Amino acid sequence: MNGEVGRPISRLLADVDGARCERKGDRRVRIDATPENLPAVLELLKGRAGYLHLSAITCIDWMDDGEFELIYHLWSYEDRNLVSAHIRIPREPGVYLSVYDLFEPAGFFERDIHEMYGVFFEGSPDQEKFILTEWNGPPPMRKDFDAEGWVQGTFQWEDYRPEWLQEIEEKGGGIAIKPEQARANTRKIRGWKQ
Amino acid sequence: MNDFPLPVRAERSNPLARVFDELIDFCRARSMFMLHYCTGCGAIELPPAMTSRFDMERLGIQPMVTPRQADILLITGYVSIKTLKRVILTYEQMGSPKYVIGICSCTVNGGMYWQSYATAKKLNEYLPVDVYIAGCMPRPEAVIEGLRKLMGEIKAGRANSWERYFREYDRYLAAQQNLFGPNWQTPTDIIGEARDYQLYGPGTEGRHTELLQQHQVPLQPLRMTLHSDVEKSS
Repeated sequence: MNGEVGRPISRLLADVDGARCERKGDRRVRIDATPENLPAVLELLKGRAGYLHLSAITCIDWMDDGEFELIYHLWSYEDRNLVSAHIRIPREPGVYLSVYDLFEPAGFFERDIHEMYGVFFEGSPDQEKFILTEWNGPPPMRKDFDAEGWVQGTFQWEDYRPEWLQEIEEKGGGIAIKPEQARANTRKIRGWKQ
Repeated sequence: MNDFPLPVRAERSNPLARVFDELIDFCRARSMFMLHYCTGCGAIELPPAMTSRFDMERLGIQPMVTPRQADILLITGYVSIKTLKRVILTYEQMGSPKYVIGICSCTVNGGMYWQSYATAKKLNEYLPVDVYIAGCMPRPEAVIEGLRKLMGEIKAGRANSWERYFREYDRYLAAQQNLFGPNWQTPTDIIGEARDYQLYGPGTEGRHTELLQQHQVPLQPLRMTLHSDVEKSS
């Protein structure tokens, strides 16, 4: 049965221009679609192949490419197979169509992505604040948002070398890796400018 | 941190009063009600600490469900900015004397979430913390050790950092406004309470309480409506 699962999908998508289908594992199929044909792909999968369950929409920020990758994860209860449909949209202006009319749970996923990445989904029922009700800054999951810089500018820090610790250090105890060293390393790796 | 050192408790001239003070402190240390308010992941160490294996109740520490009746506020892990608002509201509702214990490294300095945009870093900046129990997460033995330390401090009459919140309210409010914006207000009138407890100090009012009083909206009682009223009006 396992070998049979992927074949109907590739046959199904044969009519859709620009959609490539690739088997990644026993129960996983990857589809590379384009922003233009993704609604058609989802419609075919739902209507003709029994992929009724949209389990998640994932967003990845490829800042260097200037693109957002949106991944629609669909599950079929009959085939017990997970299909991931990948598309890439331009990072600016970061607008795409909602699939709320096909899959109602998409409303939540799209609202979440809008909050975390600033991608706007046309036709989604609600793009208001979702979890970060207290947040007024830029969408925090975008790669160009410098979380560490924001934190350093916002918060105070507890003293890492209080007097009582110095007493312990004189006796040979204390912290093995100094916090300054640990932070200097992360800065070097991420190219964090001070 | 210690801009305004707390005044040392005046030596009581009447020996009987001192006996009563010590008795009260002893009783306080032996009946601590701990508010059931869990943030973050450290709360997972509390069920074993409370139940038969380590059994906190033998020390007189019991869970309590309402802030009004609780003595200890346990912050068990990272506090997101959204949660911190609720923590402050809860803390202000508790009756004095009240104690705050920060469990886990996250309450000390953000812990492993030190570069996260969503969590508050230094709990001591927003609330006066009595005892920190570091660890990720501390084991029940460590939790009980910290609580015993607090008990010793209470018994010795030294655990009065809750007075700081009244004496230095302006400083705590400054940190809260820095994070929540200038419109931040709580339903509790801390300055009035400070006067009532005779804990009004030089740091109670200042620049930030002035800002609060400009924005403060007086609390209105909620209108009580029955279901039928709503239907009629609509």
